[in-house]
Amino acid sequence: MSRQHLASIALVAVVATATGFVLAGQIKAQLLTSSNQVARYQALVRSVQDLEATNASDRRQIAGLRAQIDALESEAAARSAATQALQNQVTDLRAHAGLIAMHGPGVQVELRNGVPGPDAGSQAGYLVNFQDVQDLVNLLFAQGAEGISVSGRRITPLTAFSGSAGQVVIDQGPPLSSPITILAVGDRNRMQAALEDSTALPDIRARQVQFQLHLTYQGSADLSLPAYDSSLQIPHVHPY
Amino acid sequence: MSIRTKGRSRGGSRSRARGISVWLIAFLVALVATIQIRSQAEVERSLVGVDTASLAFLIDDLHRANDALDAERSDLAQRQATLQSGSSGAADQVLTDEANRLRALEGLVSVHGPGIVMVIDATGLTAVDLQDALNNLAAGGAEAIDVNNKRVVTGIPVEQTRSGVSIDGVLVAPPWTISVIGDANRLAEVAGLMTQQLRADRRVREATYRVQADVVITSTVSQRPFVYALQT
Repeated sequence: MSRQHLASIALVAVVATATGFVLAGQIKAQLLTSSNQVARYQALVRSVQDLEATNASDRRQIAGLRAQIDALESEAAARSAATQALQNQVTDLRAHAGLIAMHGPGVQVELRNGVPGPDAGSQAGYLVNFQDVQDLVNLLFAQGAEGISVSGRRITPLTAFSGSAGQVVIDQGPPLSSPITILAVGDRNRMQAALEDSTALPDIRARQVQFQLHLTYQGSADLSLPAYDSSLQIPHVHPY
Repeated sequence: MSIRTKGRSRGGSRSRARGISVWLIAFLVALVATIQIRSQAEVERSLVGVDTASLAFLIDDLHRANDALDAERSDLAQRQATLQSGSSGAADQVLTDEANRLRALEGLVSVHGPGIVMVIDATGLTAVDLQDALNNLAAGGAEAIDVNNKRVVTGIPVEQTRSGVSIDGVLVAPPWTISVIGDANRLAEVAGLMTQQLRADRRVREATYRVQADVVITSTVSQRPFVYALQT
């Protein structure tokens, strides 16, 4: 092989390598998510994880404080009949507000994501969303539920549902995603009949057909619901 | 003969050079492809289906949620300290305050406070539309809500009937006047976005809101006694 040939091979190699690096750099800079973006994304994920850890710790502390307050109130109630009467009233109100764990007969409902449809415009339809959960909660309350929890989060009179496709945010809790388990204690037969009614929950039924969204339920003789463990502050509301 | 041999040798060198060039180019193309595939895989592993904007909203929500939890924790700690003080009547005062707060929260008594009043007049709006509006307000920090003199708390059914929308079995015909108590600034922000969106809807004749220093809600709900549920 002559020097000329070796030189030409070296030239081709240098040009091709340079082209490869330029191409790779161009693609990385313009078409791909840059490492900076990935780092930023990872920082956001870490923030979410830290905030969720704080959230869980705060909720544990709130549950602990409520238990301690309950014990102190019981001690005081043991010393006075008037205090005992007041405590009974408050206990009843707390039970209706979801602040006390309860159990009883009811239904267990499970809602799972379906499969994405071929139409890109309707992709979110296969995901469980907060309206689905709210529709089910409303239906169950309307049909005799006395208490409801959603994936371990107790529903209260102040409960707000929000979220984006595939994520369900309830009150101050972290986002929930499929599968969502709803437990409802109350009139089991009425609730089951309502869930079996094909005219109820029209949006979920339509997506069961279109996206194979999963909705299953079963009655149970005894279900346990946890107490609410978040904030029930109403600083702007005053009794009239 | 020697000339032919020389010619073959030259031809062989050229084809080897071409071969090496082709391999080099192929190698570099493969390198670029590998970089691209690895970068995409890295992105897919870390994104797990959530975009950056959604994460930012999530962080905002969690900050707000944690602030609310912090306020609740402080309030409970204060209550605990009052009870631990053991002063005469401390427990009665704590229990009375708690009963009043829970009655207001559960919609059992009339309430007042700062907030907003929204009016929506439309033809053909359904229970889903009203439920959406109530959801937005609840997520915007509503602490008490009334629609056309019907108190709304979670669990009170908002349903579509043949005659129109009903709340707890009572028909609420448009125009809907939605009175909301809560943080007026936050509620005004939510109401502003809602009215803007509603005005773009052809079914809507009117969508307005006003901020009020004192919104009065006199409607109440009746407490339903538990029949099936037992306290744990």
